[in-house]
Amino acid sequence: MLEVADLNKRFSSGGLLKKRYIKAVDCISFRIDRGDTFGLVGESGCGKTTAGKLILRLIEPTSGRIIFDGIDITRLKTKEMRKLRPRMQMIFQNPDASLDPRMKIEKSIAEPLRLKGGLRKEEIEEKVTDLIDAVGLNPEHARRYPYQMSGGQNQRAVLARALASNPDLIVADEPTSGLDLSVQAQILTLMKELKRDLELTTIFITHDLEVVRQMSDRMGVMYKGKIVEMGETEEIFRHARHPYAKLLIAPYLQGGCGHHDADINGGNGNFRGCVFYPRCPFAEDVCSKREPEMIEVKRDHRVLCHIF
Amino acid sequence: MIQLEISDLRVLFPTDDGLVKATNGVDLQIEESENLGLIGESGSGKTVLGMAILRLLPKDVRVTGEVRFNGQDLLTLREEEMRRVRGKEIVMILQNPSSALNPAFTIGNQIEEVLRIHEGLDARSARERVVELLKRVKITDASRRAKDYPHQYSGGMKERAMIAMALASDPALIIADEPTKGLDVTVKREILNMLKEVTERKSMLFITHDLAAAAEICGRIAVMYAGELLEIAKTEELLNDPLHPYTKGFLGALPSRGLTPIRGTCPSLIGLPAGCKFHPRCNDAMEICRMEHPPMVKRDDGRQVRCFLYA
Repeated sequence: MLEVADLNKRFSSGGLLKKRYIKAVDCISFRIDRGDTFGLVGESGCGKTTAGKLILRLIEPTSGRIIFDGIDITRLKTKEMRKLRPRMQMIFQNPDASLDPRMKIEKSIAEPLRLKGGLRKEEIEEKVTDLIDAVGLNPEHARRYPYQMSGGQNQRAVLARALASNPDLIVADEPTSGLDLSVQAQILTLMKELKRDLELTTIFITHDLEVVRQMSDRMGVMYKGKIVEMGETEEIFRHARHPYAKLLIAPYLQGGCGHHDADINGGNGNFRGCVFYPRCPFAEDVCSKREPEMIEVKRDHRVLCHIF
Repeated sequence: MIQLEISDLRVLFPTDDGLVKATNGVDLQIEESENLGLIGESGSGKTVLGMAILRLLPKDVRVTGEVRFNGQDLLTLREEEMRRVRGKEIVMILQNPSSALNPAFTIGNQIEEVLRIHEGLDARSARERVVELLKRVKITDASRRAKDYPHQYSGGMKERAMIAMALASDPALIIADEPTKGLDVTVKREILNMLKEVTERKSMLFITHDLAAAAEICGRIAVMYAGELLEIAKTEELLNDPLHPYTKGFLGALPSRGLTPIRGTCPSLIGLPAGCKFHPRCNDAMEICRMEHPPMVKRDDGRQVRCFLYA
């Protein structure tokens, strides 16, 4: 369904003379089969949100290819891209900010349908009613404004709007951050049901390990712009190999990761080696000199580390 | 020995839409050097409870009941007396260090202030003590970083600075309100370990919506819902054998336990349902739950639960 190859994004900062680049997303590659959920986990600033936005071309990649359903979307012109957009939808963090405060919920949900064109008014109304029902809202919510709804209800409306255009791919960026536990359970259960019923392919971006374990079939662990480990979710939770992934997943690994005290303050210098080198308790000479390459340690389980 | 004893604490906020019962008859004890977790969802009244203990709420808010700290009722103290308790005997670590710290003063200055007011230290010894405190919370290069402003600290470092400030007056009780909110996984773990370590000989009321965090550092946990405590239990008992239907639902909604949602939504604190506050969402609700308000039941095994199923 989706294949991402050597995707890069550099942001520049600094003045005219001293231009510096930040590699927000650094050469990431992965693929997702139709109907699967791929989880991207990592701590704040690791580039996971940027990766999500790149995949939908909401920001332009510096280099790399994104192949969606056989089409290389990195080469498409704006106009051609617009035709594909309805098939790819993003759900952002903070539902209250992703709905137009001046639009009633029904109007927000109807917007993708109106933009698509070719539907009569009654057809749109009927579809909106169906969608509102599908995401578990009551018909009376349709005439409310976002400020009259709770965070959980707004996130349901955002989901309904994303589903309006019958997408194949959904990128969900922390869809439950800031929601209460019981509301989070409601939204995630709903997303699971929708995924099953509509065969949605999903990229699920989160920092919450428990959530990614529940929601995704396969996952990638990101650190400083790179995917350092990738594979089936359960495989990673049971047998994480990369020192960073192990540190992150430590409470779930049998026997722990053995180095709880890894220095998490370290690591901003400029060097050519592995991104995790300054924090890594197993670092060897080679790690500071040469970047590691992705190695397949097992079928569909890849690790970016010199040790393997 | 019981250090803090809260009895029938009620906090009423007058609003344009009526009286909001933020906490409604809370009874709670914290033993000396005990860590007690207070969990609940947003709007359940857990922060208000913490603020009420230290009398930090605005003047028009009505607070009734008793808050006995080492036997003395804090609610009846005069303001000057209260000021000696607040920040010295009992310290609160507020939610969101980025807004709790003053952006216009260096971290060192802000910790020094506590030391000068409560410990009566002179400028020089206060500065020395600040460096010691920052070292204790593992800020590397402490003497230099003491001269930094809050914006030069990362989120985790700010939280550690808050802990250092809380430790400055060597309080007996720390009230920590969501100290791990918004922190990354590895940083969160580090802060939890640190809190556990520094409160070894102190008591702590740990307010959070994160059950896993509370379970890690607290011996007992109290569950709050719509301004009331519904269950108080030892951490293992609460995790392995929850009694109250809400506690069961809350545990079931954890991603690690299958993400089963609790039906319905938290009630608004204006116009709470009659009877048990949880009955509209409860699968085990009986006739009596709709009519009468359940009392806190103390079972023979010492467990406390507010539910007619156990009455």
